[in-house]
Amino acid sequence: MTYFQMEEISFGYGTGSRNVIQEFTMRMEQGEIVGILGQSGCGKSTLLRLIAGLEEPKAGRIVINGRILVDQRQFVEPERRGVGMIFQDYALFPHLTVEQNILFGLHGLSKKERGQRLKEMLELVQMQEYSKRYPHELSGGQQQRVAFARALAPRPAILLMDEPFSNLDTELKNKIREDLKQLLRAANITSILVTHDKEDAQTICDRIIRITR
Amino acid sequence: MIGSALLRNLRRNLNGWVTLSVIGAFLALLPSLYILFGLFQKETENWQHIQEYMLVDSALQSLWLVLGTGACTIIVGVTLAWLVAAYDFPLRRFFNWAFVLPLAIPPYIAAYTYGAMLSYTGSVQTFFRNTVGWTPDQRYFDIMSMKGAIFIFTLFLFPYVYLITKTFLEKQSAAFIENARLLGKNSFHTFFVIVLPLSQGAIVGGASLVAFEVLNDFGVTKHFGISSFTTAIFKTWFGMFDVDSAIRLAAWLMSFIIGLFVIERLLRKRKKYSSPTSKMNPLKRRQLKGVWKWAAMALGLVVVSLSFLIPVIQLVVWATWTYEDVWNSGFSELLFNTLSISIVSIFILMLLAVIVANVIRYARGSTFSLMLTRFISMGYSIPGAVLSIGVLAVVISVDQKLSGVYGWLGLGEGKLVLGMSLFMLIFAYIIRFLAVGYNAVEAGFEKTGNRYTEASRLLGLGMTRTFFKVDLPLIKGAVFTGFVLVFMEIIKELPLTLLLRPYNFETLATKAYQYASDEQIHQASIPSLCIIAVGIVSVFFYHWLGEKQAK
Repeated sequence: MTYFQMEEISFGYGTGSRNVIQEFTMRMEQGEIVGILGQSGCGKSTLLRLIAGLEEPKAGRIVINGRILVDQRQFVEPERRGVGMIFQDYALFPHLTVEQNILFGLHGLSKKERGQRLKEMLELVQMQEYSKRYPHELSGGQQQRVAFARALAPRPAILLMDEPFSNLDTELKNKIREDLKQLLRAANITSILVTHDKEDAQTICDRIIRITR
Repeated sequence: MIGSALLRNLRRNLNGWVTLSVIGAFLALLPSLYILFGLFQKETENWQHIQEYMLVDSALQSLWLVLGTGACTIIVGVTLAWLVAAYDFPLRRFFNWAFVLPLAIPPYIAAYTYGAMLSYTGSVQTFFRNTVGWTPDQRYFDIMSMKGAIFIFTLFLFPYVYLITKTFLEKQSAAFIENARLLGKNSFHTFFVIVLPLSQGAIVGGASLVAFEVLNDFGVTKHFGISSFTTAIFKTWFGMFDVDSAIRLAAWLMSFIIGLFVIERLLRKRKKYSSPTSKMNPLKRRQLKGVWKWAAMALGLVVVSLSFLIPVIQLVVWATWTYEDVWNSGFSELLFNTLSISIVSIFILMLLAVIVANVIRYARGSTFSLMLTRFISMGYSIPGAVLSIGVLAVVISVDQKLSGVYGWLGLGEGKLVLGMSLFMLIFAYIIRFLAVGYNAVEAGFEKTGNRYTEASRLLGLGMTRTFFKVDLPLIKGAVFTGFVLVFMEIIKELPLTLLLRPYNFETLATKAYQYASDEQIHQASIPSLCIIAVGIVSVFFYHWLGEKQAK
């Protein structure tokens, strides 16, 4: 059964301007990892922002697991969508420690459950020793792992990744790419990865969608 | 289809934040609307007389003041900006921020300081008579005139032009100027053919700030006996007790200023000189040599002395003569009044500024957010005297509407309850300086960007919780900056405070003004120095912040 679907989504900035995205449709099965490949400026990041609810489509609908996120009649706010996202520059809260960053999305759980989930996440990304550090005290690769843990902690229905390697040195990149692949498999989460690098997509993803301008 | 989408958006976008912002913007706009309605009211009998004997004359006086000050501030401000931005000479680093210091001295304080210094019994003429033994011609020292007012305004307002032009030259102009130099143009040629046309936008921006300040002024023109437009409004109001005509005059002034605004916008829209790429090399400074080096330093020293050191030293001297008189329990009440009303006003103001900035940030670029920005900035561009009439008109009509309620509460019917309280002044301060607080907060939001907020929303926190857990900690520096800047503005504000305070409520500014207008200039020095001290702290703070951001 289709787990995630985007049906004929159109999007443009402002009312008069030309659409950046024109009637885009895609479907995914549960647990699938899909790469979206395209040059910069082709609207691939916008696709993620539409799924996350940070932008509003002009037309079309998005459904996850039978739940409508957006169509003509309704719009679920980003905080209620259950969508996890890793931003291009990770956007770790600079005024919070690693631990506080991961705990951020875990409201509504009991204290014990939150502690349990934090421990699991730190173990998953192997950052136990760094839990009290602030983001600026971490390397790029470490920051990415924290961002991963933070996005995954609230058990989102889908994980979105926007150019997760663009901030890393080339030498580090291969290793971190492998790491991320292992992490995604271990977490068994439906994910969409947006990148302009063919190799990124080929290493990590089950399926690749190319978009052109 | 479209209808349901509209309904969806309405439901989506209508929340407490938006509602509060819209109410705030409406309240901020209300006094201006009241004044503009004044144009459509029936004319009173006085109006004929005012039109015949006052209107043209005071409009001309104001026009000369604005044009004269505008021209002089441009000459002084641009010259100094070019010197500091493009050349190295002794004391340049000191001048870099010392040229901003005059902003700490409100022009009305400068006006009575210079007025007293240059009078027959003042320190300058006494020095010539007693030490030099020469009795100079009184005409040399006639500062209580149009020329004198332009002199004062130029000395204490040129930093607006200086600051904006300098920032522009340092950050944006390097490529063009270096090219001109490479093409073998000499310095003067470069200045007139490249620098001046290039920085046109910045200069107009700075000069229009100066124009607003001059039109807003009440203290300088009153002290120097110039019948400007603002004083005409006061005369109509307090001399003839004709509020309707005062509102009509205010409406004319406001229409003129809105016109000025529109023209400036149009001028700027047509010509865009800022460079297309955001990353530019800073301008490399050249070493000045020989005579020029010392001439530049001398010019700088003269400006700093006239526009800061001399008046401050004079005030300090007077303060040592009079502190026993002035520094008493009455003075601590004065301080308490000033501080308490400032802090209450700033608190409400910043709250509103933060709410509006947060709403505008979410809706950036939309017509709604543009309108909201315009409305809340309205109060800053209209003169204090005009605004105070508007606020008064609003409050009086509210009091009339609430008359029944007052009777029921046992306060007596037909009374001015809000109109006699501090409410009116606080309301006016908030409208007047909302733009200052808002701009500071907005700069903070712009610097942090939206990504932390978006991350927080995706982690399941709504707009309000995101604001308290993420946005506020990240912009608290900007909020604090807004706090300091608004504090400086309120402390030195004169016309609003003078007109809207309750009976017998004195602040530092009104007391200084009162002393000065009672010919007790020396006594005015201590409240004036307090105001200047706050100003200096704010200027330093602002400068320090600018340096920090530049790094």
